[in-house]
Amino acid sequence: LGPLLYGLDVIVYIGIFGIVSLSLNLEFGFTGLANFGKVAFFLIGAYTYALLSQIGIPFYVCLIAGALMSAIFGLVVSLPALRLRADYLAIAVLAFGEILRLIVKSEYWLARGDWGIRVFPIFPWTGSHLIYRLENMGLVYLFLLICLLVVQLLANSPYGRAMRAIREDEVAAEALGKNRSKFKAQALMLGSAMAGIAGGLYAQYLQYVLPGMFMPMVTFTVWIMVLLGGPANNWGVLLGAALVEIFDRGTNIIKDYITLPIDPTNLQYILFGALIIFVLLYRPQGLLRESAIKTKALRSAYNGRSSTENKRS
Amino acid sequence: MTSNWAQVLFNSTITGSLYLIGAVGLTLTYGLSKFPNFAHAEFITLGAFVGYFVAEQLELGLPLALLVAFLVSGIVGFLCYRGIFQPLAKRGASIIHLMVASIALGFILRHSIGAIWTWKPLHFTAIWSAFNAGPVRITGLWLWLIFAALALSLAMHLLLMNTKIGKAIRASSSNPELALASGINVDRVIWITWFIGAGLAAIAGIFRGADTQVWPMTGWDIILPTFAVAILGGIGNFYGAIAAAFIIGLAENIGVVGLIALGLSTTYRIGIAFLILIITLIVKPQGLAMLFRRA
Repeated sequence: LGPLLYGLDVIVYIGIFGIVSLSLNLEFGFTGLANFGKVAFFLIGAYTYALLSQIGIPFYVCLIAGALMSAIFGLVVSLPALRLRADYLAIAVLAFGEILRLIVKSEYWLARGDWGIRVFPIFPWTGSHLIYRLENMGLVYLFLLICLLVVQLLANSPYGRAMRAIREDEVAAEALGKNRSKFKAQALMLGSAMAGIAGGLYAQYLQYVLPGMFMPMVTFTVWIMVLLGGPANNWGVLLGAALVEIFDRGTNIIKDYITLPIDPTNLQYILFGALIIFVLLYRPQGLLRESAIKTKALRSAYNGRSSTENKRS
Repeated sequence: MTSNWAQVLFNSTITGSLYLIGAVGLTLTYGLSKFPNFAHAEFITLGAFVGYFVAEQLELGLPLALLVAFLVSGIVGFLCYRGIFQPLAKRGASIIHLMVASIALGFILRHSIGAIWTWKPLHFTAIWSAFNAGPVRITGLWLWLIFAALALSLAMHLLLMNTKIGKAIRASSSNPELALASGINVDRVIWITWFIGAGLAAIAGIFRGADTQVWPMTGWDIILPTFAVAILGGIGNFYGAIAAAFIIGLAENIGVVGLIALGLSTTYRIGIAFLILIITLIVKPQGLAMLFRRA
C-alpha cells in the first residue's frame, strides 16, 4: 500500500500546484505580468482558510473567503503595480510576499508565529490513509477542473485575445481601445483568487499552516512549472506541474535509498535552478507551444482563402 | 524612555554605508543590463563566506579577506553574466525571462554555498574593540565599514568621472546604441561592471557577516533594502544610490525607535525599506535620479 499512498500524495500535490500554475499562466502566460509574489496569495488563502476554520465555519465558506481575501489583496497590489514596468512590478510583488511572511511570523497572536496552527480536516477520519487521500484528491481535482475550465474559456474568448494583445504590445492594445489597466487588474485579481483557493486546499490537506511553508521557493517552483510546461498553454502548465512535482517528490524518496556526497535538499534546488536556466536558454517556449487562436472568423477567412485558391487553380 | 539620538544617527551612518556598498553593484548592473539581478543577494552571501574562510579559517586577517572576497565574487559575477545572462540577452530573452534566470541563478549559488559550508550560521570570532565617544558606542568594525564606504564613494566617483572606462559605463548606461556607434565596446563595459559590482557586494557581505552572522541567507536578508536603495537612488545612478542608502539607513534606525515605542517587533525594520520602495515606485519611479542629472 505504501507506493500507492505515495502516488496519491503526489497526485494531490500536482492538483494543488496545478491550480497555482494555471493562475500564474493567466497572469504571466496570457497577460504578461511578472508575478514574483505568487506565494503571498497562496499564503493569504491558506491562512484565511486556517483561521476561519478554527472558529467552526464550514469549509466551502472558508475556501471562498480565502479566494476573496486573496483577490482583494491582488487588486490592492495591482493598483500601484499597473502603472509599473515589468521589473518594478516583479520587485514590488516579491517584496510584498516577503513582508507578508514576516508579518505572519512576527504576529504571534494572529497564527502563533513560527509554531503555526492546526487546521481541521474536512473529511471525518475513517482510520484509513487511502480513503483520506482519495477524498482529498476528489476535492482538489474538482477545483482544478473548475479553474482549468475558467482559464481555458477565458483564454479562447475575445477577452483572452485582448489579454494576449496586451502581453505582446500594451501600447498597441491600448490604441485599439483595450483598457490595459483594467485587464491587468482583473488578471491579477482572478489569478490571486485561484491561488487563494489552492492555498486553502493546501492548508486543509496538510492540516497545518506555518510561515516556513511559504518561502519564495514556492513562487519559483510555480514559475518552473509554467516555463517548463509552456506559457500560455494550459495543458502545458499542467504537464509542467506534474513533471516538477514528480521530480520534487521523487527525489525525496530516492534520497532515502542512495547516499550522495552532497546534501540532497541543496542538490534539488541546484538542479531546479539549472533546469530553469536550461529551459530559458534552449526552449523558451516550453514543452508545449502556445496553441494558435481558433475563432469562427479566422476559420471562415481561412476557408474563404483556400476556396478562392482552389478556384484559381 | 529617551532615545540616544546621537547613537541613532551613528547607527544610520553604519546602516547606510553597508547598504551603499551592497547596492552599488546592483544599481550599476541594473542600469547597464536593463534587468534587476536578484542573484545580487547571493554575491553578498558568497563574499561573506569567502571572507569568513580567509579571515577565520585561514586566519589571514580582514584586509586580505576583503581583497580575496572582492576578487572571487567579482569573477563569479563576471562568469554568471558571461555564461547565463549574455547568451540569454543575445537570444532575445524578455526582461521577465532574465529576472527568472537571475532568481534561478540565486538558488544555484545559495544552495551551492549551503552544500559547501552547510546551513549552520557561522560567526566571525575577531574581537572588535568597542569604545565610547561621548554618548556614542563605536566598534572598530563599524569604523572600518564607514571607511570602506567613504573609500568606495571616492573611488567610484573618480572612476566614473575621470577614467575612460567610467565614461564608457555612463555612456553605455544612458544610451547603449549610441555608445556602440561611438566605438565603445559595450559588452566589455558590461563585463567590467558586473565584475566590480559583484566584488563590491562581497565587501558588503563581509561587513554584514561580521556584524551579524554568516549563513546562506546573509544576502537575501538584506535584499529589500538593497533594492530599495537602487530604486530610490534611480536605477544606474551612483550618486543617487549614495543619497538613497543614507536616507534608508536613517529611516530604518528612526523606524526601529518608533517600532519599539509602539511595542512592535523590530524584525519589521526591513518593512521600512519596503515602504520606501513602494512609495518610490508609485510616486516617482525614476527615484532621486533627477537630482543628479550629471551621472
